Amino acid sequence: MTEQGTTPTEHPPALGIVRFLIAKPEFGPLVLLVLMIVVFTSINPAFASLNNIGNALTFTVELGLIALSMTLLMTAGEFDLSVGSVFGFSPVIMWTFFNAGFLPLPAAFIVALLIAVCIGLVSGLFVTRLGIPSFLVTLGMLLVVRGSALWLTDGFPQRTWDAHDQWLSQVLVGDFYIGGLRIYMSLIWFILLASLSHYFLTRTRFGNWIQATGGNPSAARNRGVPTQRVKVTLFMMSAAMAAFAGIISSIRVSAANPNSGAGYELEVIAMVVIGGTVLTGGRGTIAGTVLGVLILRLMRNGIVLIGVPGLAYNIFIGAIILGMMALHAGLERRHNTGT
Amino acid sequence: MTEAPLVEMHHIEKYYGRVHALRDVNLTIRKGEIVGLLGDNGAGKSTLIKVLSGAVPYTSGEIRIKGKPIVMTSTNDAIDAGIETIYQDSALVPMLSIARNLFLGRELTTGPGFMGRLDQDRMNAVAADLLRRVGISKNIPPTTPIGSLSGGERQAVAIARAMYFDSDLIILDEPTNNLGVAETQGVLRFVREARDTGHSCIFIAHNIHHVFQVVDRMVVMRRGTVVADDLRPATSSIQDVEDVITGEHLAL
Repeated sequence: MTEQGTTPTEHPPALGIVRFLIAKPEFGPLVLLVLMIVVFTSINPAFASLNNIGNALTFTVELGLIALSMTLLMTAGEFDLSVGSVFGFSPVIMWTFFNAGFLPLPAAFIVALLIAVCIGLVSGLFVTRLGIPSFLVTLGMLLVVRGSALWLTDGFPQRTWDAHDQWLSQVLVGDFYIGGLRIYMSLIWFILLASLSHYFLTRTRFGNWIQATGGNPSAARNRGVPTQRVKVTLFMMSAAMAAFAGIISSIRVSAANPNSGAGYELEVIAMVVIGGTVLTGGRGTIAGTVLGVLILRLMRNGIVLIGVPGLAYNIFIGAIILGMMALHAGLERRHNTGT
Repeated sequence: MTEAPLVEMHHIEKYYGRVHALRDVNLTIRKGEIVGLLGDNGAGKSTLIKVLSGAVPYTSGEIRIKGKPIVMTSTNDAIDAGIETIYQDSALVPMLSIARNLFLGRELTTGPGFMGRLDQDRMNAVAADLLRRVGISKNIPPTTPIGSLSGGERQAVAIARAMYFDSDLIILDEPTNNLGVAETQGVLRFVREARDTGHSCIFIAHNIHHVFQVVDRMVVMRRGTVVADDLRPATSSIQDVEDVITGEHLAL
């Protein structure tokens, strides 16, 4: 056995570094992002203006927050289609409680988050205890949660314009200027939570369990890893993050619309897989997801600026997903053969 | 009074719904012996192994470890009791590194609880040392994903893990399946090394030739119960053992 050990073939150091970079799942998305920025800026220099970047980043983070916890969940081998509904439902709950005078805003905020956590708990228990695929469980949950939001509100948006003298809304969506760049607090939250998720996934024991749960569930179980608890926890985090993102969004647009967030689940999953996280679990990358988030958002922003009709947006997104999947599949094959 | 056996299973019964999977199974494993567990498909080998590794609960009966009765409700109970099971396809996580696989579920961390920070340097150092000791060190860094190792190297890593955590009993489920000749010999060598350092092994394989090369004693199961538990390579031929497995010897 010793004689047949897979000895890595020797390469000149420079070539080795290039190979090392190319083999990283984040490499493809990074190249694409740089390419997009170069192309968009060369066609319309306004793309790189501080004003445009500031705007693009603001809208980025609301979906980006959900993408972070979705990355962890997908690394563990599951996904959550109900995030878009929770994104719409949780602010409705929070503002209904607040506007009716039941609760002060911070308490309503906590209650809305807790209800979201319970939604995640139920999804997680259905998936782990009953063994129903997460696709079906969270599809059902999507309808239940969206239906609840519509029923509670009769389909009308809840007003949120009492929010602006509340300290909580300043903490969540307040803004300040660095030079000419307007920075929203939500961006700070995104950076903070992205760093935390990255640390969590790659450096902690729980992160190791997440990767093992998605990579080979029975091996993880045999080693005493509580795979069911890992998954349930991640479903709860996913729902809480969707609620948090929805609440931020409702304050920013001054309305909690029970219909908002429709279709977000698919866009978020697209962001995650473009970044290099494997749909079937086992390998996930927060850095890749951040790139995926930026790619989809700057694409939406950029194609409008360079004069492509906005309705053609989905053609580009679809093409990016297909292209990136082909790239990742190729890397995966190379990885598995050990070259 | 002699030392109590490492593992004793007394009158173990297991029902899956109405299926009677284990009937009055009695089995004793002594310290430092390699026991071959044989039987045709459906004879109850895997169920017995799953019971002993804590993966499935048994319906009734008693398990004693070193003379003490023990309650086994999870794989963690078995691991804590010193029983390490190496399943053929589900021992390792392909996308994780060698070092992370070695310590999976028993990670070295700095800081509290499951939020603890992984001590990667220490885990990598231990893994590299272990790989050298089992003889597969050759240019394989401990950060290599398991997925890029050969089948024999994977088995070696799994066995090395059991040895590192000083398990008293290592259960090997079909460890030579899908391996080439040289790799099979390597795995058999690790099994002997494990015994020589004081570990007991239960060795399950369809290939009786492999079993004969390494075991001290063979236990045969048929239809959920143990039908022979003291066949020895020195006194029984492969044909004898095959007859017991199929029940042919009863026809004579």
